[in-house]
Amino acid sequence: MAQLFKHAHLVCPERNISEAGWLAVENGVITASSFEHPEQPDETGFSEIIDCKGQILGPGFVDMRAQSSDPGAEHIETLDSLLTAATSHGITSLAILPSTEPVIDNAAMIDSIQLRAGRYNKGRLYCYGAATKQMAGEQMAELGMMTQAGAIGFSTGNTTISDSQMMRRLMTYAKMFDRPVMHHCEDPALSDAIDMNEGETATRLGLIGQPAIAETIILQRDIALARLTGVHYHASHISAASSVDVIRQAKREGLSITADTAPPYFMLNEISVSGFDSAAKLNPPLRTEDDRLAIIAALLDGTIDAIASDHMPIDPDEKAQPFSLASFGASGLDVLVPMSLKLRQTHDMGWPHLFSLMSYRPAQILGLAGGKLGIGAPADLVMINPDSAYILKSADFKSQSRITPFEGTPCEGKVTGCWVGGKNQFQQ
Amino acid sequence: MTAKQRSHQVPPLKSGHLLGIAGLGVDEMNALLDRSSFFADIITSPDQPDSDVGKILQGVTVVNLFFENSTRTRVSFEVAAKKLGASVLNISVSGSSVKKGETLVDTATTLNAMHPDILVVRHHAAGTPLLLSRHVGAAIINAGDGRHEHPTQALLDALTIKRSFGRIAGLKIAICGDIANSRVARSNLYLLGALGADLRFVAPSTLLPADVDKLGVPVFTDLDDGIAGADIIMMLRLQKERMQGREIPSQHEYFNLFGLDSASVDKLAGDAVIMHPGPMNRGVEIASSVADDPERSLITQQVEMGVAARMACLEALRPTGKTDRKGS
Repeated sequence: MAQLFKHAHLVCPERNISEAGWLAVENGVITASSFEHPEQPDETGFSEIIDCKGQILGPGFVDMRAQSSDPGAEHIETLDSLLTAATSHGITSLAILPSTEPVIDNAAMIDSIQLRAGRYNKGRLYCYGAATKQMAGEQMAELGMMTQAGAIGFSTGNTTISDSQMMRRLMTYAKMFDRPVMHHCEDPALSDAIDMNEGETATRLGLIGQPAIAETIILQRDIALARLTGVHYHASHISAASSVDVIRQAKREGLSITADTAPPYFMLNEISVSGFDSAAKLNPPLRTEDDRLAIIAALLDGTIDAIASDHMPIDPDEKAQPFSLASFGASGLDVLVPMSLKLRQTHDMGWPHLFSLMSYRPAQILGLAGGKLGIGAPADLVMINPDSAYILKSADFKSQSRITPFEGTPCEGKVTGCWVGGKNQFQQ
Repeated sequence: MTAKQRSHQVPPLKSGHLLGIAGLGVDEMNALLDRSSFFADIITSPDQPDSDVGKILQGVTVVNLFFENSTRTRVSFEVAAKKLGASVLNISVSGSSVKKGETLVDTATTLNAMHPDILVVRHHAAGTPLLLSRHVGAAIINAGDGRHEHPTQALLDALTIKRSFGRIAGLKIAICGDIANSRVARSNLYLLGALGADLRFVAPSTLLPADVDKLGVPVFTDLDDGIAGADIIMMLRLQKERMQGREIPSQHEYFNLFGLDSASVDKLAGDAVIMHPGPMNRGVEIASSVADDPERSLITQQVEMGVAARMACLEALRPTGKTDRKGS
């Protein structure tokens, strides 16, 4: 089957190109484009012509950090709804955390989840293997056998390995399989019973604060261990200015260090917590305005490589609680793209840069073939109408989990089509 | 026979002790191996008269001082010493004065007052034989000190290889397993390396010691890559406590990634052989089908050669009457 996407505005982050053009796809793979041949081929040779009407056409988004409630808590969200939410926003690849029930800490779990995800015929789903058995931080999980089963990296979910020797061995062992170690940096001793970021707002609200260095201390240790072991280390959902400085320095040194953040950390600050709004209770917590600006600067200068949804399905009952008793986390899949697109307006971010943060770099970090429009790349594509304006409403979310601190945010730019391996998921 | 035997007799080791392979000259290594091979001929041909061999250490007292449990090494030394006519005394840590709080040096001094000729020492702490050698008059044989050295194991391995292949130089030998905690790997590296073997280490990265590549041996973290084209595969024992998630996730994963099974062996050259210093963990580092393969496994020969190699070592440390060791 041959498809022609015509009248498109093609964006290829790999080559930093954003220009009008066309794209040809055969059997789910990109076979030609106006990047190589300005002249559009004769339409008669194609079984399907998609007229993009001048809209943006780029590589499908790669969300490198999402929590699935399935298996274990399917009443909150199923794999099916997770994948539906993803593709409805042009997220063609999704990497899920191992913190399911049971934990993804062995090859059989990965086999089972991937087999089930494949049956839905939607986006591509990848699993991180748990770095330690039961995510308890005490014993290494079977990283080698999980790699054979398709684990794309090793994660600790929302837990931190505080034992430095354990972390060192884990990095040493993981390096054999050429997969990144993804860590949630949070010094447990500085995070006991915390509600939010430490500072004036926490003091006024009478909530227990966590200093931003709780993130940075672990990050610094991890970078020192990554230097020792040579592993590819990835710092997940970075939130603090002091962490950004440390990552920038490590990258300058040439270490194999990458990082992601999520929309709350470049869109919001701790003031969002002011009304005791439990939807803004996140881990890591929303930080100060200076931290937020540092995260944006890091997205602009490449210190932070990727934006992830940090999707955390939450039972609404767990949020309908006094702030201190409410669970951490919010839904992320339905806000990832609208909030990231805002960087275009607020910081004049170009399309290739945005696609680099959301498609190309995450694909590179995880060793995936997608994230670009080169010949031979999978035809995982997203179409965006950049002029469509709307108000974000959680009632419209495709995810079954609808907790968000972004309710009512005005948005500009909407995903209007999505293809996974050339197969259309939806088109407006 | 007597004249031939005399001409073969191994010259005394220059240091007066066998603390490790690292202290030996290549001439000493070769002399020990040649003599070991001579003893091997004798012990593998029970019909051959060897009455003169039984007189080599007549009147010599050998003390097996084992601070760490061992059956095969202690018995091997005991058999070797007895075949040479020595009287043997076994002291193991349990029930000894060490448990009563006596320091190692005190124990050594006490033993020294009884004037043994050769002390065969095994201890869990690296460097113990060297420490003892400074406090006793007897010759010390290191029978394994922590992660440091196990020289007689390396000699018996080299002897097994030499008798199987007729040479050591140029053979491709892969040593696989827990390199970080293995004294056997270190001694074999020094001995087989000095004798011209083409060595390589194969291990999960968590079981490789720091800067191991600086020892001048290629290192592989993939079993199939590491053993490709090898003439000899030497598997090391993996201690159970290393498979509990700190170094290795599980026994299951270890066998899957680093265990030697028929599938890996099938990829090897037809005449490749398998060695293991023992005791084996079947189903962990080696499948029974490989360990018991009569065509490839030299594991039983290794035990046999152990006695011969240790006979040569004991002979090389026999009292010469002109030693100036402390206490003599």
